[in-house]
Amino acid sequence: MSTDRVRDLALRDGMSVLVGTVDRAGVPACCRAVALQSDDDLATLTVYVPVATSRDVIANVASTKRVAVSTSHPIENVSFQMKGSVREVRLARDDEASFIEYRLGKFAEVLAEIGLPRRITRSVNHSPAFAIEVAVEQIFDQTPGPKAGVAIQ
Amino acid sequence: MSTRLADISRCFQGVIPSMVATSDRNGTPNVTYVSQVYVVDEGHVALSCQFFNKTRRNLDENPRVCAEVYDPVTFQAYRLHLRFLRSEKTGPLFETMAVRIEAIASVTGMKGIFKLIAADVFEVLRIEPVEGFLDTPPADACDSVSVDGLRSEIRGLQYVSEKINRAADLESLLDGVLDALDTYFGFSQTMVLLYDECTKRLTTIASRGYGESGVGAEVATGEGLIGTVACERRLLRISRLEAELRYGRAIRREAGGMAPEVPLPGLPDAQSALVIPLSIGDRLIGVLAAEDRDPLRFGEWHEAYLEVVGNQIALGIDRMADDDSSTADRRPPTADSTRDVAPAVESAVESAVDRDTRKRTFTFYRNDDCVFVDGDYLIRNVPGRILWKLLNEWRSGGRTEFTNRELRLDTNLGLPPVKDNLESRLILLRRRLDEKCPDVRLEPVARGRFALRLGSAVELVER
Repeated sequence: MSTDRVRDLALRDGMSVLVGTVDRAGVPACCRAVALQSDDDLATLTVYVPVATSRDVIANVASTKRVAVSTSHPIENVSFQMKGSVREVRLARDDEASFIEYRLGKFAEVLAEIGLPRRITRSVNHSPAFAIEVAVEQIFDQTPGPKAGVAIQ
Repeated sequence: MSTRLADISRCFQGVIPSMVATSDRNGTPNVTYVSQVYVVDEGHVALSCQFFNKTRRNLDENPRVCAEVYDPVTFQAYRLHLRFLRSEKTGPLFETMAVRIEAIASVTGMKGIFKLIAADVFEVLRIEPVEGFLDTPPADACDSVSVDGLRSEIRGLQYVSEKINRAADLESLLDGVLDALDTYFGFSQTMVLLYDECTKRLTTIASRGYGESGVGAEVATGEGLIGTVACERRLLRISRLEAELRYGRAIRREAGGMAPEVPLPGLPDAQSALVIPLSIGDRLIGVLAAEDRDPLRFGEWHEAYLEVVGNQIALGIDRMADDDSSTADRRPPTADSTRDVAPAVESAVESAVDRDTRKRTFTFYRNDDCVFVDGDYLIRNVPGRILWKLLNEWRSGGRTEFTNRELRLDTNLGLPPVKDNLESRLILLRRRLDEKCPDVRLEPVARGRFALRLGSAVELVER
């Protein structure tokens, strides 16, 4: 699969985004992200996680710099996982808040198609959010099936 | 107070996929969705391993896991801190988890390809609600059975038992059971399929809540949700059927070149299903299936409870078959017994007078034992052969009354020598006639005896 195709699929509206980290003792942590974007064809990405629910994730990346970001379409099950090192963690800026709001709205629309009421998805805490800047080192196809786990990049 | 698995049981119904994070020995994390986390007991959970993927490889290098699960009613998230203990490739846990995957694989045409490799078992170290996950803390929505609910469930069990014990025949037993499931459990779409040892297929003999009854619809053992339950003799509860099928289809799309999908019987937009094998020991009697548009319709407690109900139904059906067989005399007919049905010739003449001008054309296809009426499929196999025998007896001699005994003695019908399920085959035939040509009826007239009533002219064609 070409990088362009991966970019188009992984960064489109309505994707569910998960973040995984691990501490120095090997204890993993995870949290749900509220938005994902990349301006350079996934050479780097910015993933947004709610401040309220990402304490362990942020603590881990501060010490290990390692992060995994999974993005999956709830209906099609098309999924990718990006792994890399964290370059920066900062609070999401005011100008990013509308993007987060937009993406959460699109995610709610997709989930509404499969029966989860919009009001429930929209009730997910998404502000304030941390922006985690990641240098992507590997991309994996994670779509369920025999090719799940195959490295794309 | 710490959170227990029992406190968050809704999270494990598989309605919202869970998140699982692992790490390899070098400290590289991995995060992915899993469709369902299974509760093993109050201190352990299990995940299904379908592919030898990164999560599975990581567990061998680092047993620590963080999982996030979601309450499908409130959407509150909970984190489970886990330690991997072992992989089970046989045993009750494995079999229970495998039947669901096999059922979905069967429906999506991936039987034998998409299958459970192992049930990975984890110790639960700690459970914590994800504070601040929702802007507004969720209202407490309790799903445990209320005292009132429990009372009505006990009443329901009593009611089902009574219906089974008092049923005069198999037809009233089946109708009574489906009525009780609707009244006491709110299961408004249900069906009972009986297993035919000769054909290795299940045939719908009773249903409730469907616009068109579906009586006569068949499923092969091992095929689809119902066929898989019959094959594995294990109860199956699915809470987000559509999502499971989408997941299966995603794998099918990636793998390519699979067998065609098996259409699901019943509701086209069912979101949840509960399928219970009806068996006595190892002997399969049939399957009871319930489905609903509500993904949370069937809870964990329904499983244990309805297994009891299922056992009672199986025993009731079997008792009916035994009663019917024990009253039947398998000796050849005597002059006396043929005299029993002689008056029927007269009634045939009478009924001919009442017939309107409508004509029904019944066509029997010898190659596949199918009977069509006016060009539409009616019935096949043993019930088809029975109908053909009755119609031919009527045409040649004008008979309209028949006995179960003579059917049992007719070796051309292909009834098995023991546990022949004749009564259920006659119910199936009667209901199919009611639906497809109500002017041709089979009416019970006494125990083990029934009449063929013709309200139209009949033409018989054999091909």
